[in-house]
Amino acid sequence: MQYLRRDKKDEEDGSQSNPFQNLDKSAVLQEARTFNETPINPRKCIHILTKILYVLNQGQHLGTTEATEAFFAMTKLFQSKDVMLRRMVYLAIKELANIAEDVIIVTSSLTKDMTGKEDMYRASAIRALCKITDSTMLQGIERYLKQAIVDKNASVSSASLVSALHLMKPNYDVVKRWVNEAQEAVSSDNTMVQYHALGLLYHVKKTDRLAVSKLIFKYIKQSLRSPYAVCMLIRIASKYLDEEPEVVDTPVYDFLESCLRHKSEMVIYEAARALVNLKNLKSRDLCPAISVLQLFLSSPRPTLRFAAVRTLNKVAMTQPMSVTTCNLDLENLITDVNRSIATLAITTLLKTGNEGSVDRL
Amino acid sequence: MDSAVLEASLYTVKAIAILDNDGERVVAKYYDDTYQTTKEQKEFEKNLFNKTHRANAEIIMLDGLTCVYRSNVDLFFYVMGSSNENELILVSVLNAFYDAISQLLRKNVEKRGLMDNLDGVVSILDEIVDGGVILESDASSILQRVAIKSDDVPITEQTVAQVLQTAKDQLKWSLLK
Repeated sequence: MQYLRRDKKDEEDGSQSNPFQNLDKSAVLQEARTFNETPINPRKCIHILTKILYVLNQGQHLGTTEATEAFFAMTKLFQSKDVMLRRMVYLAIKELANIAEDVIIVTSSLTKDMTGKEDMYRASAIRALCKITDSTMLQGIERYLKQAIVDKNASVSSASLVSALHLMKPNYDVVKRWVNEAQEAVSSDNTMVQYHALGLLYHVKKTDRLAVSKLIFKYIKQSLRSPYAVCMLIRIASKYLDEEPEVVDTPVYDFLESCLRHKSEMVIYEAARALVNLKNLKSRDLCPAISVLQLFLSSPRPTLRFAAVRTLNKVAMTQPMSVTTCNLDLENLITDVNRSIATLAITTLLKTGNEGSVDRL
Repeated sequence: MDSAVLEASLYTVKAIAILDNDGERVVAKYYDDTYQTTKEQKEFEKNLFNKTHRANAEIIMLDGLTCVYRSNVDLFFYVMGSSNENELILVSVLNAFYDAISQLLRKNVEKRGLMDNLDGVVSILDEIVDGGVILESDASSILQRVAIKSDDVPITEQTVAQVLQTAKDQLKWSLLK
């Protein structure tokens, strides 16, 4: 309580704009001993955990012993049912996972949370658990993770898909057994789940060209709802096409072309960029993509102008003739308030312009 | 020309940061080893801040990274990705980040309020990007996952100033509607 009062005084002063300024690492770790007190005061503990996270975030170095000590004190907080406090505990676990020793001590608490009823806990518990898990322990929780991938709750499903991706590097043989669940998750109504599932499938299969082609042909027919997932598919498809001798008139090419008419700008841009970068495409086939980028050049949004002019700049290096249609729009960008856009516009024009137009610059 | 065809990957975001108007780090998270030490990170942040704090340009290339940013009163929000990344995807992450924080702080996006709600801010950051993968890009879903109840302080524990501020905000927003 005394602590709260002090906090209030600071607020009333209004002079101190950063309550976390000049925090001393050892003082904060000292405060972490409060975690052992019963009953647990959630507000106070949240504040201390925030301080620890802040100190770590500022780049202060924590030694193994002190980190381990703080970590063990923190495990006491699992007794509290406070949702916010639990979230902060998960966060701190993730931050300390690589510094403290014996972090696997929280495995059973986290497994309990991830399989429990409280949806609020489950997704975050999965992510924290996967952060502290090593290859030997993964076997033990594999069953739960597979189930979580196809969970009705979108955040649970996303959490396990993304965690699976992080776990894949050291545990490829385990994670590749989860493709059926991932496949099921691609048809989820939730756009993020769809994106994560497609991403995981590709990461598992990317070294197998036949499997990748099957993946592409399956999902270009089925229209994906998530713009992120479509961008991902465009990238997979264009990489695949780049290794094909004949590009135009294949279903994959038609898919890329159709994405130029997608309702999301993100997808339109991704498709245009993929098309102009294909090495086996003739210049006349570039036209639809170039005209889309030309439209972006006059957008009021700087990011769109930047994206378009940067892509055109690249095209101009190899096929300057295809970009000449955009010269007028590019000239307008020379005075753009964003210096990067202006510079890119000038260098592009230098490649595409003829003598007369370069003189005008 | 090097192969311009991108490797498809879920790893999209290289870093995300909030700096104050002195260019000092409020929070920052780096998801790969482009900048391994704190010293390198802070140098990069300083550089980034110097290049962006006056020009309100939304996007910049720095050190071979694409950086998109937004500012408000005394805070700067940044999202960094590889130079080959789809710029619009990075902007969607930036907007989600900014909007979620703006809702958390009830539209008063400034350093003071942000510091008072730092626990919420780090939770939001955690729900947006997980190890470089975009986890969620919709501000309201993010807030839902973070479970921030904006009125969880009992009235007796609030200071007079806080109560007045809340009342003022509510009045302001009801008038603006």
